[in-house]
Amino acid sequence: MEQAFAYFTIAWLDPSLLLLVAAGTFAGIYIGAIPGLSVTMAVSILISFTFSWEVNDALCLMVGIFMGGVYGGSRTAILLNIPGAPSAIATALDGYPLAQKGEAGQAIGIATVMSVIGGFLGILVLAIAAPVVSDFALTFQPRDYMLLGVLGILLVGSLSGESLAKGVMAGALGMLIGAVGLDPLTAQERFTFGIVELWNGISFIAVMIGLFGVSEALAQLHHLDKAAVRQQVSKIVPSFSAIRKYLPLSLQTSGIGVIIGALPGTGGDIAALMAYDHAKRVVKDPEVPFGQGAKEGLVAPETANNAAVGGAFIPMLTLGIPGDAVTAIMIGALYIHGLNPGPMLMIDRPEMFWFMVGNLTLANVFLLIFGLTGIRLFTKIVECPRGVLIPLILLLSVVGAYAVNNSVSDVYWMLGFGVLGYFMKIYGYQVGPVILGVILSRLIDENWRRAIISERESLPDFFLNLIASPLSAVLLLAVVLIFVSQTPLWPRRRSPR
Amino acid sequence: MRHILLGAVAALGLTVAPALAEYPEKDIQGVIQWGAGGSTDTVMRAVTPHAEKLLGRSVVMTNRTGGVGVIATKFVQSQDADGYTLLMSAENPQIYKVMGLADTDYSDFIPISVLARGVPLIVANNDAPYNTFAEFVAYAQANPGKVRIGSTGPGGVPSVVTAMLTTQVELPVTAVPYDGDGPALTALQGGAIDVMPAVLGAAIEHVRAGRMKVLALIDTVENPALPGIAPITAEYPGFGDYLPWGPFFGVFVKKGTPEDAVAKLRAAYQAAAEEADFKALMDGRGFKLMNISGAEAEAFLAKWQSVTSWLVFDAGIAKHSPEDFGIPRP
Amino acid sequence: MDQKRQRQPGERGFGIMMLGLGLFLAWQAYGIAGFEALSSPGAFPMAAAAAMVIAGAVVVVGDWRAALRDRPRLAETARAFTAEITPSVVVIFAGFVIGYAALLDTLGFLPSSFLFLFAAIHFLHRGPVVLSFGVTLLALTVIYAVFRLVFQVILPEGIVPEREIMAWLGGLVSGGAQ
Repeated sequence: MEQAFAYFTIAWLDPSLLLLVAAGTFAGIYIGAIPGLSVTMAVSILISFTFSWEVNDALCLMVGIFMGGVYGGSRTAILLNIPGAPSAIATALDGYPLAQKGEAGQAIGIATVMSVIGGFLGILVLAIAAPVVSDFALTFQPRDYMLLGVLGILLVGSLSGESLAKGVMAGALGMLIGAVGLDPLTAQERFTFGIVELWNGISFIAVMIGLFGVSEALAQLHHLDKAAVRQQVSKIVPSFSAIRKYLPLSLQTSGIGVIIGALPGTGGDIAALMAYDHAKRVVKDPEVPFGQGAKEGLVAPETANNAAVGGAFIPMLTLGIPGDAVTAIMIGALYIHGLNPGPMLMIDRPEMFWFMVGNLTLANVFLLIFGLTGIRLFTKIVECPRGVLIPLILLLSVVGAYAVNNSVSDVYWMLGFGVLGYFMKIYGYQVGPVILGVILSRLIDENWRRAIISERESLPDFFLNLIASPLSAVLLLAVVLIFVSQTPLWPRRRSPR
Repeated sequence: MRHILLGAVAALGLTVAPALAEYPEKDIQGVIQWGAGGSTDTVMRAVTPHAEKLLGRSVVMTNRTGGVGVIATKFVQSQDADGYTLLMSAENPQIYKVMGLADTDYSDFIPISVLARGVPLIVANNDAPYNTFAEFVAYAQANPGKVRIGSTGPGGVPSVVTAMLTTQVELPVTAVPYDGDGPALTALQGGAIDVMPAVLGAAIEHVRAGRMKVLALIDTVENPALPGIAPITAEYPGFGDYLPWGPFFGVFVKKGTPEDAVAKLRAAYQAAAEEADFKALMDGRGFKLMNISGAEAEAFLAKWQSVTSWLVFDAGIAKHSPEDFGIPRP
Repeated sequence: MDQKRQRQPGERGFGIMMLGLGLFLAWQAYGIAGFEALSSPGAFPMAAAAAMVIAGAVVVVGDWRAALRDRPRLAETARAFTAEITPSVVVIFAGFVIGYAALLDTLGFLPSSFLFLFAAIHFLHRGPVVLSFGVTLLALTVIYAVFRLVFQVILPEGIVPEREIMAWLGGLVSGGAQ
């Protein structure tokens, strides 16, 4: 125990490591905030950059960037409706309406504090229960991942807005977009029309930037003459009573975040969306309706995606299995630095585990500091005249879409989806379900097929195992319950028309 | 105006490189065929910093993923053959033709260095009721279709290994496809699949920790990383026709690149691959360092293509016959 | 979001277009593998396309009912569509964007972005030329520095030989230092 504490404080006591974590967190916030720059990309560039460094130095910087980057996505989601990273999609749903009301500062304040709370809870689970959670995560079979995907797709019900039919249509379109390209399991072409550029599918980031950012920029053209919203800059740091009020919710959504983050097949993006759905179901009387600037709609995804960071490290540190894309690259970095990440890491290099836990905790502390400073300056962005802001958003969107795969065709897709999103918004279709469909498409498709192949194409065997396995049975029950609980709401939701 | 901007940037010291009249006069672009964090990416990002020092210029690496690497390969082919665009890739292009993915392979490129080769092995879930390759074959034959074997799609390493196995033994198994050997090995530990043909480097840590067991080593010699495990040729000499075989990584330039550029790149990458920490990385991940170029590399590539193309064709997962492209049967 | 959203001109047409897209994708999905197996690559796309078609049909029927009630005139709808959905500012701006995207690859990132930003800001903001010019320059500098120099994203080079200029400048600096 004493030993563990000594390892935990390595980075806390060494000024240069401390500085690296701080620098990483700070840089991470901006990397996360800029669409097209991702933590994955930054960490893989850092592998070459930190090649000749000590492994501890490199890890401190990477951990900081990871923590900051997951949070940073919320900045642009709130201010410009462009989620800087996929895990901030759900944040845009209620964060952007808040900015439109002039409460961007408050929104960022809550997002920051909640991210830090979620982050700490994720680290806590990592520290005390890592082996248990990673063994549990391994028991997820293809059918369980499929059920998880179905659970996620039920969110369409709560993202549809005025018309469920329109939401289902948008969600199905998203799933079809996600299926474009060479089928990852059989390499068969799907919806590619013989075009090689489509083999890799349509870049999900391009779809996201187009549907959220560009469509909103086009819609804002209608209000060119209106003065920009004045932002209130008081009360940025949420009060203790507010934090206490959201604490029960944030505990639940952090739990969702850790588990989804720890599962090797899912990451922070799905965690945030599921947490948002959870909040929508358990919070019966938000001060403002969801989708129009409910604070609970910020609390849930922001706690979940930062809790997922701790979650993602669970299988990585205990078994050498990446919990998400970033930890996959960090495993590569450990190899390059002469470590052998795997189940033996905890035995060969016992200091590594607590050192990482210490780094994550430290990064989280810096997140609170850097997250709460400079908010005033950030909110000024939204006060820019629209005539200047809209072209800049477009430029950033183009560069962002291009940077993901260095591909001009991604830019065309991004613009195409921007136009589609513009019309969808005007005609009462929500863009959220499209993104949801794209994110979950592969998860459901691949795992359904793996599951049914494993049962040798036998549906009866498939259902039998679905009920026979306790985990699958629980997930199936959750799917059924949520589906049924949503159905009676259907006529009520339509009644205002 | 642009000069002022660039001048300011340069003055900040962001670009520091000596001015040279000969190759390389400017930064080089390295196009990685696979995504960040994959084996190809890790290998390239580990070796390139050493080569940069010798070249005196940065090699800016970008991941251009997709289409089993076709997109990156075609991109490098579309650039000028001036030595400023490197293809950092794996074995896949050698079977593009037979798999019907693209009409190109490494004969359209010049190998700078074929860096390393992986060693395949077959691992099984700890609870599986067989402990050796022979027991596995017997069990699979007694329970046709019941054993679930991991795969990464047609043309991937596991599919080729499985094809190789079926040339010598009858193996009625159900192949369950995964996105890569990492996710498949995870599924193996969770019991979603029973057996997986994988690359030694990907499985070695899990084997050492006793989380999965080795059924066979697909090589002609014992491996230092797995002492006591006999190579498969000891019991089934018939595999000797195909082995040694394994996925590989290399750096390539487009055919037609000037001699001096090729020579400089070769010298840089050859020396880089000999650096102690790169060698240690290759050992740690269970790769066999090759570091070959020129005629030796071309011969290796040709043999690899011939073995693999015919294996996948005979197994029925290829779209075209290797004969159509003049690939001789091994 | 807005519960009492007014029916917009062109809504029925858009619904029909989306339904058409769904039907087209369903046909394409069927073409992948037909009804070959539950695990075929086409199984999931077909299911998703079916959901899209069914939902699309519900939407179109709803729109049609509303149309029967309101009885809009075609000419009136067309006029309202151009006035409310695609006013000239949106069309012209979209034109700028399309031109930008088309020039991005051939002209290169720096010149095409400069043209786009300058033209778009000047057109939308209608401020003094110096302001548009200054904002354009500043934004391009920051974006170029962050993406190209720090994150090593090779933006389309086009007609500007960026790497040669950088190498030359690099040579100049190191030459001066020696």
